[in-house]
Amino acid sequence: MVFKWFDERLELRKFKEKFLSKTFPTHPTFLLGETALFSFITLVATGVFLGFLYEPSTTMVSLFGAMVPAAYASVVRLDLLPMGLVIRRIHHWSAMIMIAAILAHLLRIYFTASYQKPREINWLVGLSLWGMAMVAAFTGYLLPYSQFSVTATSIAYYMAKSVPWVGDWISRLLFAGDFPSDGTVPRFFFMHVMLIPTVLVGLIGLHMLILVKQKHTEPRSNRNRKEAQGGRRLIGIPIWPEQAVISLSFFLFLLFVVVMMATYIPLNPIETYGPPSPGTPVMRPDWYFLVVYGFLKLVPGDLSFSFLGGKITPETIGGVIFPAFTFVVYALIPFLDRSKDPQHYMENPLHRPFMTSLGIGGIVFLCMMVVAGYIDVLHITAKAMMVAAILATALSWGISYTFLRWYNRKRGGNVKD
Amino acid sequence: MVDGNAGSEGSKKGITRRRFTLGMLLASIAGAFGSLFTLLKVLAPEKKGGGYAATIKPGDGLVYAQGGNAGAPIMASSMKAGDAVLAYPTGKSSNPANLVQLIKLEEKAFMPPTDISLTDQGFVAYSAICTHLGCTVSWMANQESPTASFTECYCHNSIFNPAQGAKVMGGPAPIPLAQIGVKVMQDGTLAFTSDFNGPIGPQV
Repeated sequence: MVFKWFDERLELRKFKEKFLSKTFPTHPTFLLGETALFSFITLVATGVFLGFLYEPSTTMVSLFGAMVPAAYASVVRLDLLPMGLVIRRIHHWSAMIMIAAILAHLLRIYFTASYQKPREINWLVGLSLWGMAMVAAFTGYLLPYSQFSVTATSIAYYMAKSVPWVGDWISRLLFAGDFPSDGTVPRFFFMHVMLIPTVLVGLIGLHMLILVKQKHTEPRSNRNRKEAQGGRRLIGIPIWPEQAVISLSFFLFLLFVVVMMATYIPLNPIETYGPPSPGTPVMRPDWYFLVVYGFLKLVPGDLSFSFLGGKITPETIGGVIFPAFTFVVYALIPFLDRSKDPQHYMENPLHRPFMTSLGIGGIVFLCMMVVAGYIDVLHITAKAMMVAAILATALSWGISYTFLRWYNRKRGGNVKD
Repeated sequence: MVDGNAGSEGSKKGITRRRFTLGMLLASIAGAFGSLFTLLKVLAPEKKGGGYAATIKPGDGLVYAQGGNAGAPIMASSMKAGDAVLAYPTGKSSNPANLVQLIKLEEKAFMPPTDISLTDQGFVAYSAICTHLGCTVSWMANQESPTASFTECYCHNSIFNPAQGAKVMGGPAPIPLAQIGVKVMQDGTLAFTSDFNGPIGPQV
């Protein structure tokens, strides 16, 4: 009856027939993108709550007898409200889950070659989403303005400054002046709450629009179940009601997990970190930045030179060139591993020796960079770590490649190289 | 109005009225949006919007920068050779550029290029902001040989020798920490006697 009321005004019946009955192929790994999407929705919902209570200012105010920045005081007071602390933790945990889901989703797309024609555009949109998600996480981290927030931000400030030729200007644009500056918090607040979510929503919309237009990739088993030729008729379940129910239950399950984590696992305890104080704490960045952190630890501290009028310092090499290079390599993958005809099926990673072994080597390298972030507590020298990282990467790449080639030769099938 | 062969304009050579108009339109749109780029310059404030600019004046007292007695005047008698504390000038602790490391060594331990005239009774003070990337430096006390204690920055392991004008002994810091004059007053507290004798903070 409710449906009829809306249908008479919005022609929902047509929408239902045309769109809601669209087929959705099924595969367990197809939930990774949804995890990222649902985490984003949770972030927006909890973010609205936090936004009502947060004060984006570094003016000193009185908090229980001590003078602290207003931003810090507003978050401490928020934590004391009923549900306040739990909602802030849900927000932070959802951010971690979103980035982890994006990375897992990226790996799935990579290893199943789902980036091939015609999905190169979506691959690039996905990479942009990943970058924007990390920028969102970073700008959000400053907002509580604790001792750790300020230290983390100063590091990024000097990295922005280390960009040759335009670093000075970029750093002052993003951080509203030279660090430390009172303009940084309001500007980061605007970026985190308005600018970046708008871009994210736009990119997510684009990502899903292209997905609907090109239709989701299918597991290879679907291909075996229908004729080799023929149209693009998908085998799967309709969006409504089957897929909707699955997605909704998954969303609720994700919410359950996130709320459990937020309730029992504390994180970002700003009351323990305290407001910004004169000393600099010994701290490490959040896990998704550990790769850059580790790489930076390996770059020799005196490696500085001029290039075309711009200065290249170790911060440039580790904080700018290395991440930029990684992104460019990722972006180029669909254009290097090309296919002439449109591909609509997931490849079996085991049948792609070169790309799969390259992926394994890449993952091992990134893991070694995370380990490199801890060489001071592990008492390993930078040189030894560098050798270990290169060896581990080369070995894992070589061994997996050799094994996969042998496996495919034995299998006797198509060796896709 | 005759519609006729409007579509066949594309076969004409050279600059037609249609192409010219379209080109002018696109150029003016591009120019209009391009001029917006000048706004980006406005959004990046000049250096006055932040940075490290110390405001210490001769005569300012030294107070503890952190800990339980933050803000309380530092008594000269509370420090022995080999001790160091972080200090601010009285009432000016909101400016992070004013952060100073007050060190007590022995008078005979000081060597050039330390400015002896800026020291008093073994007390010497340097900027506490590492000249590499702005972290606050820490003190590596040497219990056996107090005058061999030194300043180290945990962030990237820059090492400064306080007995030698906070000269860079290792690590990526480009210049020494600037020295600032201190003096023990009649009532046992300490006061600044000068401004920093060099640049402070990261030299990027």
